[in-house]
Amino acid sequence: MKVAKLTGALADPAAAAWQSVENVRVSLAPVALEAQPTEYIREAWRDRDYGQTAEAQVKAASDGDRLYLRVEWADDPVPNHEFQDAVSAIFPTNGSGVLATMGDAEKPLALWFWEQGRPGPLRLISSGPGVVTKDATANLGANGVLANGRWSVVLSGPADVAQKRKVALAVWNGSRDERAGLAAVSQEWLPLEME
Amino acid sequence: MAATTEAKVRQLAWVYDLNKCIGCQTCSVACKVLWTRDEGEKHHWWMSVNTMPGLGTPKAWETMGGGVDTTTGKPLPGHQPTREEFGGGFEFNYDEVFYGGTSGKAHLEPQAPRENRWAMNWDEDQGAGEWPNSYYFYLPRQCNHCSNPVCMTACPTGALHKTDDGLVLRDEETCMGDRFCMEACPYKKVYFNYERHVGQQCIGCFPRIEAGVAPACVRQCPGRAVFIGYLEDEDSPVHKLVREWKIALPLHAEAGTGPNVYYVPPLSPYRLNEDMSIDTETPRIPPEYLESLFGPSVHQALATLKSEMDSVREGGSSEMLKTLIAYKWQELLGPFTVDPATLTPGGNGHQGA
Ligand code: SF4
Ligand code: SF4
Repeated sequence: MKVAKLTGALADPAAAAWQSVENVRVSLAPVALEAQPTEYIREAWRDRDYGQTAEAQVKAASDGDRLYLRVEWADDPVPNHEFQDAVSAIFPTNGSGVLATMGDAEKPLALWFWEQGRPGPLRLISSGPGVVTKDATANLGANGVLANGRWSVVLSGPADVAQKRKVALAVWNGSRDERAGLAAVSQEWLPLEME
Repeated sequence: MAATTEAKVRQLAWVYDLNKCIGCQTCSVACKVLWTRDEGEKHHWWMSVNTMPGLGTPKAWETMGGGVDTTTGKPLPGHQPTREEFGGGFEFNYDEVFYGGTSGKAHLEPQAPRENRWAMNWDEDQGAGEWPNSYYFYLPRQCNHCSNPVCMTACPTGALHKTDDGLVLRDEETCMGDRFCMEACPYKKVYFNYERHVGQQCIGCFPRIEAGVAPACVRQCPGRAVFIGYLEDEDSPVHKLVREWKIALPLHAEAGTGPNVYYVPPLSPYRLNEDMSIDTETPRIPPEYLESLFGPSVHQALATLKSEMDSVREGGSSEMLKTLIAYKWQELLGPFTVDPATLTPGGNGHQGA
């Protein structure tokens, strides 16, 4: 995926600047039940569907300082007052890492995590599905817009993350009580190429 | 050496004497005033007292699952109680009543749809049974600081831990607000903070414990109905009531989490026959109902209490009854007798007593 060199209001998912940027389809699949980190989660979700968001679309742009990723996916319209929709851009921290388990102790992954209704985005270090620690020092931004049944969320952070050369996605469907490792995650890394 | 390791781990326990609890909610309010007045905590009642039989808080919590299958040891799925099921934390129409120019016609009214309104203690004093044999009693509830805390083992981020005093505490920095603890807890005693996106529950007043001060719910109880102490401490009333005399029992022990809050079960008046004569054979609170809460040992516990009372009536003396009466209220506080008024803010807390 090419990271378009752009200036302007990239933080806004509706910004005109995004129209010219290449749109990449990413297929997602549920994080395996066996990989879920606690017996409670494995028992409670044995017979419940999760991670059914099959696809997301992503665009990447940078103004040199910051990397902007615009992720779009279809919203599940079933209302849920307890859990919210969420999305993450995923980066390796240690060369690579296993996406299917959202990282492991040896090769944890870094997540730029946005959740509807949460005060701001979080940078999370993930060493398993939902096995995360918060990074207080992160300098991230995020904006989400729900329109015509689709979420568009722009996540942004320091552009040097592009040196990791790859990115992946995870989507949580709040309508189905999804959180932690109960997510749909990219099956493959997407190469990131600065233009 | 195993013995040394064991000696270090102590378990704080609470004992509520349901024959003395008058349902005044002083414990609930003491806890609320001390710990849950910040943003997102309006509907939090880490300590709550409900009328039993009743639906309690959150509404119908006893039907929400969670806990452990005691034959397989596997955790059981539970329902995550919703904001509506906790209820309460209402906004009120203060402006309309006080400044709306309605000349006393408008009344204070929770700003929530009338149907399904619920809150802590919503079904107060409803109880069960038909006049003249209606019955109820009060049940104070807090986090049980379980010996097998399923909230802790359900959590993917490791936000909960068991302290050397046996308290189950949460690190809010580590908590991601995933709420598996709320599903897993069979007592439904974890509250979600929708503003700060973290779970919260009774912290056992650990800053007070560290300063030698009893928890607020214990110290403030005007009925002298609640004891705190270490279960292993043989001189503690808590030890005697639970381990020695076996008249204080855990609530819903069948949920398999090893709760450390215990209850002296309620005695009840006799039933009245239709001609208003007294039926001395039948207690008004159905024993099977008490068994559904406190397990089969409840019958023996009640029999023990009755026989102690009988022997005192006949002129005997009973250490058990003296303990329950608590002539000196400091006896309720276990080792935590420091007067909080003697502490200086920011001090190390040990200058009192
Ligand atoms: S009562 Fe619930 S929240 Fe408290 S320790 Fe037990 S399982 Fe955990
Ligand atoms: S021990 Fe403290 S925090 Fe826990 S219920 Fe009692 S007053 Fe509240």
